[in-house]
Amino acid sequence: MSAAAVDSHHAEDAHADPHGDDHHGLAHVAPVKVLLATGGSLLVLTIVTVLATKVDFGANINLALAMAIAVLKATLVVLFFMHLRYDRLFHSVIFVGAILAAALFVGFTLMDTNQYQQTNIWNPDAPPAAPIGPRPTNG
Amino acid sequence: MTDHPHAPHEPHGDDLGHGADHGHGHGSPFIAHHYDDAQHQFDSGKLGIWLFLAQEVLFFSALFVAYILYRYHHPEIYSYAHQYLDVKYGAINTAVLIFSSLTAAWAVRCAQLNQKRGLILCLATTIVCACAFLGIKYIEYSHKIHEHILFGRYFDPCVSAGGGELLTRNNNCAGTKSTVVWDFGTGTPTAGCFTEIDQDPRRDGVQADCTVKEYEVSGPEGKTETFKRDITGQCPEESPFGGEATSSAAAGGGKLEPGGKGGESVQAKGGEAAAHGGGKPCWRPAFQPAVCKKGVGILVEYGDNVEREHTRIKAECKAAPKPSDAGDLFADKPQNLELGKAAIHPRHQLTVHEQHELEAAGPPPEHINMFFTIYFAMTGLHGIHVIFGIGVFLWLLIRAIKGQFTPDYFGPVDYAALYWHIVDLIWIFLFPLLYLIH
Repeated sequence: MSAAAVDSHHAEDAHADPHGDDHHGLAHVAPVKVLLATGGSLLVLTIVTVLATKVDFGANINLALAMAIAVLKATLVVLFFMHLRYDRLFHSVIFVGAILAAALFVGFTLMDTNQYQQTNIWNPDAPPAAPIGPRPTNG
Repeated sequence: MTDHPHAPHEPHGDDLGHGADHGHGHGSPFIAHHYDDAQHQFDSGKLGIWLFLAQEVLFFSALFVAYILYRYHHPEIYSYAHQYLDVKYGAINTAVLIFSSLTAAWAVRCAQLNQKRGLILCLATTIVCACAFLGIKYIEYSHKIHEHILFGRYFDPCVSAGGGELLTRNNNCAGTKSTVVWDFGTGTPTAGCFTEIDQDPRRDGVQADCTVKEYEVSGPEGKTETFKRDITGQCPEESPFGGEATSSAAAGGGKLEPGGKGGESVQAKGGEAAAHGGGKPCWRPAFQPAVCKKGVGILVEYGDNVEREHTRIKAECKAAPKPSDAGDLFADKPQNLELGKAAIHPRHQLTVHEQHELEAAGPPPEHINMFFTIYFAMTGLHGIHVIFGIGVFLWLLIRAIKGQFTPDYFGPVDYAALYWHIVDLIWIFLFPLLYLIH
């Protein structure tokens, strides 16, 4: 890598990420130690989440625990395997933005889902009651 | 390569588009002409792959919404149906995928540091792990196809969630059920209506809406008893067989209560017959109506696995909606039909352990098939991503063997690894959501 390229790269990135100094060439090189520690933690967390299922904390707490471990694992993958910790801030913005959009999707769908859990089939023999009050008159 | 270290902004010449003279002194032949330099090309690609990954998150989020909505409204389906899944396979697959993610990340490091052998090794390991993942998925899927644990209307399991025998709607499961199908066309029992899983009751054959009025049974002791019942509804709390918990005791024909229990009903839904009435066996005509190609039938199942020499059924059937095969058998009005004798030979006796499993599992909730619709949609889409990933990594492996990746050109390895990590990421969520339901 020529001095010019390194300089221009760091000029763009240094303010975005304190770890910019670890960059080698075009991008950050993940140290073997970090890779192995991340992979090892993920495997340990997988065992933990399987074992946690065998203990009965109550359905909701079990679900919350499993999701918490999954989020932790996902964070490890994103930060270290996907280099987001050392990467440009804008990539984090894109990724977090996508997750926020998905959360919005889930949230808005759940907001009124209870409105659609009953099927009202029109029964001509027992029509719904007429609205209370006088009929609207013409004019 | 030409070397112009101090002329990064030199205008491009007609240099075959290799960008070798872009002024960085070590140009990979894969630095495209329209980029300023290797960094520019790398960053552009990286931005592209991150946008793609954002799209992937949104893509999968639709399925997660389906999952969340259905689980929110029907938690009982999930807590029952997940027992069909083997945590062992899911956990092994999680570990395999995490390990492949590690090797994919390591492959990027190798490419950055120009370690060609390490790069090839890491890419090959990633491919092997991806294939192992699919291999385990194949084991799981083929088991489910074999046991008819499928999506939508193809869900017709031969075993309960606990692994016990299950009486099924279409009697598709070979060699384990004590069932008989009555053919109204000839008045004789037939072996079964369905041979293929893809036969749809709504498509071929004739659909009959029948109500069984009376059963006549002769037990092993030679006594013949008749009892009337409506076949829709639930199993009685008290077993008509006298409250004996074991199937052999229930075989006593003399313990049937004749006639008078017409008000009682038996379950006409899918599930373990033996699980009802506190584990006592009960009669259970199968899903109504049964459909046969030859004629109209009633599928009668006996959940107690007891052999019966003679069984007689009287039924009243309404007009078939599409009587193309049965002629004018049920042209318009309900007919009373009496059927001939049949011998019912159970081919599988539940062990005490299996019985206990069935009792513990309890009757399955309705619409378990929705769980498997979601399961197959999510794992299937994920599996397609894995297959695509294998293709990409094979391409990378070939290029790596050719030595095309250098410290100033390793973008494809990095982008593919990012894609692979997002595939891993999605599995990290699928595993607890599908396999580890408490």
